[in-house]
Amino acid sequence: MLTIKNLKVSIEDKEILKGINLEVKPGEVHAIMGPNGSGKSTLANVLAGREEYEVTDGSIEYKGEDLLEMEVDERAQAGIFMAFQYPVEIPGVSTSNFLKSTVNAVRKAQGKDELNAVQMLKLIREKINMVGMNEGLLKRSLNEGFSGGEKKRSEMLQMALLEPKLAILDETDSGLDIDALRIVADAVNQLRSEDRSFIIVTHYQRLLNYIVPDKVHVLQGGRIVKSGDKNLALELEEKGYDWLKEEAGSVPA
Amino acid sequence: MPTVVQDRYAEVKARFQQLFEAQHIQLNGHASHPYHQFRAEAIKKLEGLSFPTRRDEEWKYTSVNRVLQPEYQLETPAEVTAEQLKPFLIEGLDAIRLVFINGAFREELSDIGRLPQGLTVMELDNALADERFQEMVQRQLDSLMEGQTDPFMVLNAAFARHGIFIHVAKNTVIEKPVYLIHLAAPGDVPTYSSYLNIVFAEQSSEASFIEGLFELPGAEGAYFNNLVNRFRLKPNSHTHHYRLQQEGLEGFLISNVDIEQDGDSTYSSYSVDLGGRLVRNNLATTLNNQGTNTNFYGTYFAKGEQHIDNHTFIDHAMPHCQSNELYKGILTDKAHGVFNGKVLVRKDAQKTNAFQQNSSLVLSDKAQMDSKPQLEIFADDVRCSHGATIGQLDETAVFYLRSRGLSDAQARAMLQHAFIEEVIEFMKLEPVKDFAEQLIMKKFEE
Repeated sequence: MLTIKNLKVSIEDKEILKGINLEVKPGEVHAIMGPNGSGKSTLANVLAGREEYEVTDGSIEYKGEDLLEMEVDERAQAGIFMAFQYPVEIPGVSTSNFLKSTVNAVRKAQGKDELNAVQMLKLIREKINMVGMNEGLLKRSLNEGFSGGEKKRSEMLQMALLEPKLAILDETDSGLDIDALRIVADAVNQLRSEDRSFIIVTHYQRLLNYIVPDKVHVLQGGRIVKSGDKNLALELEEKGYDWLKEEAGSVPA
Repeated sequence: MPTVVQDRYAEVKARFQQLFEAQHIQLNGHASHPYHQFRAEAIKKLEGLSFPTRRDEEWKYTSVNRVLQPEYQLETPAEVTAEQLKPFLIEGLDAIRLVFINGAFREELSDIGRLPQGLTVMELDNALADERFQEMVQRQLDSLMEGQTDPFMVLNAAFARHGIFIHVAKNTVIEKPVYLIHLAAPGDVPTYSSYLNIVFAEQSSEASFIEGLFELPGAEGAYFNNLVNRFRLKPNSHTHHYRLQQEGLEGFLISNVDIEQDGDSTYSSYSVDLGGRLVRNNLATTLNNQGTNTNFYGTYFAKGEQHIDNHTFIDHAMPHCQSNELYKGILTDKAHGVFNGKVLVRKDAQKTNAFQQNSSLVLSDKAQMDSKPQLEIFADDVRCSHGATIGQLDETAVFYLRSRGLSDAQARAMLQHAFIEEVIEFMKLEPVKDFAEQLIMKKFEE
């Protein structure tokens, strides 16, 4: 699904990622954890296609294609979905109109028939129930004045509608209360399937009580310093990140 | 000896006078008709007036030079079929339709049918011969010309052969709007057209007027539409005035809307400016008494080398009046936009609420927007605010939309549309709103 090799990324001449290697197979859920400033969000942003990040070395292959050569919208059309930490508020664009446009844009790019108004309404209703979002929000401007939880629900609704092959959740759980956290976890768990992978970037272990990952990676100082199974997350919760720093420090770069 | 400053547009004035004379010869004894006299006085008045230059403060950002250069003819003939008119009919709108082409009224393309009770629509010359209206109409025509110093207003009057009078009777609500289509069918010869409408709304009446200014698809050439609307609103009357404009690439439009409101009356303007090489809109209201509402909602979207200038003036002379003004628009390529919104709150106009906002998106380095809000307040117990913003599209929003699979062009179109949507939302008639949206979307896709 996704193969990252020796990825080095800089922003404004400062190297943030210093050689990341990661292999995500279809159906797997990978958690990427790490302290603030470790490069977690940089990794997520590079996958999403933000242009302000400069890839200085390495490669990212998505389904056999060079991801770094794909435009942002091409990535979305090819089945990559990024749930943002801070979804943008867009005044004047109604949520329902936005959802219809994106669903049909992606369907069209994938060679599927566009949905008509009735089919679209049915699909949106079905998914909105899944994420427990208030239907009234559909009429409002996208994310405008939404509470933190509503914004995350809106992101999960988009994910459910676009049915990606690879979903990246960038600290989607940060700042969420337990109800909202469950919404995010439920959405991911319901969408888990053999041919769909997830990369969950998180600062807190708590989300992983609800989403059981196949692999856990610890990112520190721009490198993956440790990988393991779900138990690694528990260990981190208990011991913090400092013990890894010492461990990493002893390994030559 | 005093120096004689030569009028740089003397030749232009002479050409218009010749055009007038040529039309006059064809009148065959109708020259004594009061409407013709009104027009004859107007052309005389033009003699003493000068066309504005950029040295005039009101025309600082808009040069009329380009507008006045072509050698115009009047009512150049044009073949237009009902089929060709179809793109400009508003789906789902049952309206009384008046169609004008190159300045001439075209009955065969119009759909007037039986007018609703309380609504009168007639040509101005007939109205002046109708004893029910002659005095009223004469007064409105006089008020347009009294002390008039704007040569475009005078020019309009001189050539407004097919001016229209619309009267809404007391206590009548007219559900069926009046839709005036001014279609330009330019060709090899540049065409000049005057359009003059006098709308008289009696006490407690309510009605909607839509003006559509378009170019015949496939036609090409220079033309100049000079439009004047005079609204006289009696107490407690409500008037909705829509103006949708998609003139051609070589079309010039100068529009003047002159409103006079009695107490408790409401005038709402909804304008959409999409076309034209050079467009100048003057929208001005005078408030005679307390409790009036004035709403000026405008959008503009200019591309290429288009120039769109909106000048508005609200004269708050009386207390307890409210005005809302929102103009939003988009400029790209080398387009130039101008907004000048003057709000005067006179000393006696206590408890005035006046709000004004102009926001523009400037999408290219060579596009330009000049925005000048002018708020002059002489009363001390008022709520007034104004603001002007000029900005670009929010790139984080563009990225967000693209990350959901929309192309760069789709994302930008969606955001631009959202930007002007706020103004379109004020439109009361749903079919007109939908039609306006379609026109805007089409322009985004161009």
